[in-house]
Amino acid sequence: MAYARRLEQSASLLALLAIWAVVTMLVGAIPSLPSPVEVVVAFADAAARSSFWQEVGRSTFRVYLSFAIATVVAIPLGLLIGRSEIFSDLTFPALEVLRPIPPIAWYPALTIILLTPANIVRFIIFLAAFFPILLNTIEGVRGVEEEYPQAARSLGATQFQTMRHVVLPGALPSIYTGLVNAMGLAWVSLVAAELLSSSGLGYFIWNAFTAGEYPNIVVGMIAVGVLGYGSSALLRRLGARAIPWLSAANA
Amino acid sequence: MSEHNTDTTTRSDTDEQSAEQRRSWTESSGSGTVNIQDLTKVYGDDGDELVAVDGMDLHIEAEEFVTVLGPSGCGKSTVMECIAGYLDPTEGEVLVNDEPVEGPDPSRGVVFQENRLFPWKTISENVRFGPQMRDDVDESRVASLFDQMGLSGFEDAYPHELSGGMQQRAELARLLANDPDIMLMDEPFSGLDAMTKELMQEKLLDVWEDDDRTVLFITHDVEEAILLADRVVVMTARPGQVKDVIDVDLERPRSTDIVTTDRFNELQRRASESIHDEAERAMEQAEGRV
Amino acid sequence: MSTGSISDRLVEGFAGGLPSPTRGVRKLVSLVGFVAVWWLFYEFGVLNFEHFVSPVTTIVEFAGALAGQPLTEGGDTIYLHAVYSGARVAVGVVAAALLAIPLGLVVGTSDRWENLLYPALEALRPIPPISWLPIAIIVFPALALGSISVPLPALFVVFIGSFFPIFTNTIEGARTIETEYGQAARSLGAGSGDVFRHVVLPATLPSIITGLSLGVGLGWITVVAAELLTGGPGLGYIIIQGSRLLQNQVVVIGMLAVGALGYATSALVEALGNWLMPWSTE
Repeated sequence: MAYARRLEQSASLLALLAIWAVVTMLVGAIPSLPSPVEVVVAFADAAARSSFWQEVGRSTFRVYLSFAIATVVAIPLGLLIGRSEIFSDLTFPALEVLRPIPPIAWYPALTIILLTPANIVRFIIFLAAFFPILLNTIEGVRGVEEEYPQAARSLGATQFQTMRHVVLPGALPSIYTGLVNAMGLAWVSLVAAELLSSSGLGYFIWNAFTAGEYPNIVVGMIAVGVLGYGSSALLRRLGARAIPWLSAANA
Repeated sequence: MSEHNTDTTTRSDTDEQSAEQRRSWTESSGSGTVNIQDLTKVYGDDGDELVAVDGMDLHIEAEEFVTVLGPSGCGKSTVMECIAGYLDPTEGEVLVNDEPVEGPDPSRGVVFQENRLFPWKTISENVRFGPQMRDDVDESRVASLFDQMGLSGFEDAYPHELSGGMQQRAELARLLANDPDIMLMDEPFSGLDAMTKELMQEKLLDVWEDDDRTVLFITHDVEEAILLADRVVVMTARPGQVKDVIDVDLERPRSTDIVTTDRFNELQRRASESIHDEAERAMEQAEGRV
Repeated sequence: MSTGSISDRLVEGFAGGLPSPTRGVRKLVSLVGFVAVWWLFYEFGVLNFEHFVSPVTTIVEFAGALAGQPLTEGGDTIYLHAVYSGARVAVGVVAAALLAIPLGLVVGTSDRWENLLYPALEALRPIPPISWLPIAIIVFPALALGSISVPLPALFVVFIGSFFPIFTNTIEGARTIETEYGQAARSLGAGSGDVFRHVVLPATLPSIITGLSLGVGLGWITVVAAELLTGGPGLGYIIIQGSRLLQNQVVVIGMLAVGALGYATSALVEALGNWLMPWSTE
């Protein structure tokens, strides 16, 4: 059974590769579309150059830095908004005006305020990560049964201790969902923002396009895909460790 | 019927005397009295008001075990939440040890209807929670609680890994780790199967008889109310008021065997009659609202 | 220790059904405060805001734009740009949904189809939709229908962007159906087609709606990115065009319009969900 399963799964991936190869190499339906062989060659070539790895490092660092800042800002804010109706009324409507604006749409406006493309990219990733984390934190806090904080208060916990030991862990599964979504959107927005800027993997892709080095477009896409996938996998592993009472429940 | 009524009068006379005695004793020993004076709680505002409790009076002695028996939605949980300090009364006062209640306090422990062990903390972390918040964990006390509640060996388990009865015992242990003067229990055993419930009732009686604590125990189970209590307070349907107070003159220490005695049955019949009309009214209210 | 707050919140929670005037006032304060901060930043030149645009100018120009004035000198109206962007999102998302929902149902209910389809699609999923844009430009020539040119690259990117959220949520929903429902239906005499129609589909619907909602959101993100890069008409295009012409009010109007449309479409998806699922309690 397991063997047949593996076989089918491999067939799936091979078929994907085969379709790509047939379209580009044998049929030649779209001559300018890079073939798998061209991409492999281009990848080997790029991997040998330090400039490629610099772009990889730059993009990765941007995502992680902005993601970290968004986490540090959004979680406490979400805890407060979720817990205090007054604070929620005073802050949330203003945030709701900004939330539906796609992060990438900020790019032109930010050129005036933040000036350098690198800062703009960082801020756009921050925005992309900030709102999913915020919304999920609020939702998580509101989903905590009121009796848990009440129990904590009756056991002698202060407001802060209740927040730290009861509300935060109670909201954690939802926060964690927000973090995973945020990581995905951070990479989506990184590429979009870097396509418009002058550095990073997004720029690498756009530059390959404008310079006519089409195989490098796919090299860039694969690199971003692998990095995004790896980031999500990393988060999943950290999440399982941070929420042991849930992983035990599912096992 | 008439027999019961005369019964009540005579008993409440003696009760007043004994209450007087107990009151003086309490003042010297200190803590655990609850005095509910003209308590009224109204939810909502502007035309959509709901009077949950209307002018309720009740005095609970230190170390007394009082059960509150009432139909669903009669405001008995509201009374408990006012004593716990989660709710502010709309009118009237709740005095604990002659001081008005101001917010929750570790001297007033609460057990909820649904198990409220923190799912994200191990049993040990849950039991230690109260003392931990004050950085004042007494290890020997925690160990003896684990022993007393039959939780040894489950220190590092998460609540969901335990059976319903064990979860209840762990929640009781968490409460006792704080050494509260007053235990407020809101239908704590209503989610348990019949056998586990019986064991938990005996466990609770053991705990209460060992230590000097006041217990206010809310239930809609007539048998449970009588089995546990010194006094059963019967509440009316909403808006909640005290309808009847039944003295339970059964000997202590008690075990669940007592439910087969004649005296128990007599008390049970009285309580059932008292609550029957109220339960009917409560049901009509519920159907009218939905 | 401020002890009143929990009980206060409880009371407020109960009264939450009917918003009291103070809540409305607080929310208004939030919005007015937001505009006031913007105005102060502009007036006193905080963070280079003096080179940006004042909220007053923006509001006046936004009103003008809504009255039908062209956004830029000799350009198109906001409605035309909105229609272009909206149509791209609509067509892209609908096409994605038509493919992703059946595929998701098949993958979610059949182990064999899961093995055959899921690995290939899972390999494509982590690639950010926008990064498909250059490939899309290479592959799809601009299609012309009479006088209207249909730029397929932007459509394709929207399609990719919304496909995966719908697909993965449909799978998730189909996988988590309690088997007892299907068993109950079979015992009541339903065939496998009936089970699919009366059990699998409705039970998966909440997840499909969640996926659609996420898909529409990503549709707007990708359409703006695509229009920023490939031109208009469209709201993404007007945002960058306003910036090029140093008309920052046009930039802000474009952003707000995209935000408002994004908000409206997600409300539309929610309404669709409520209409399709009258049994839903939310």
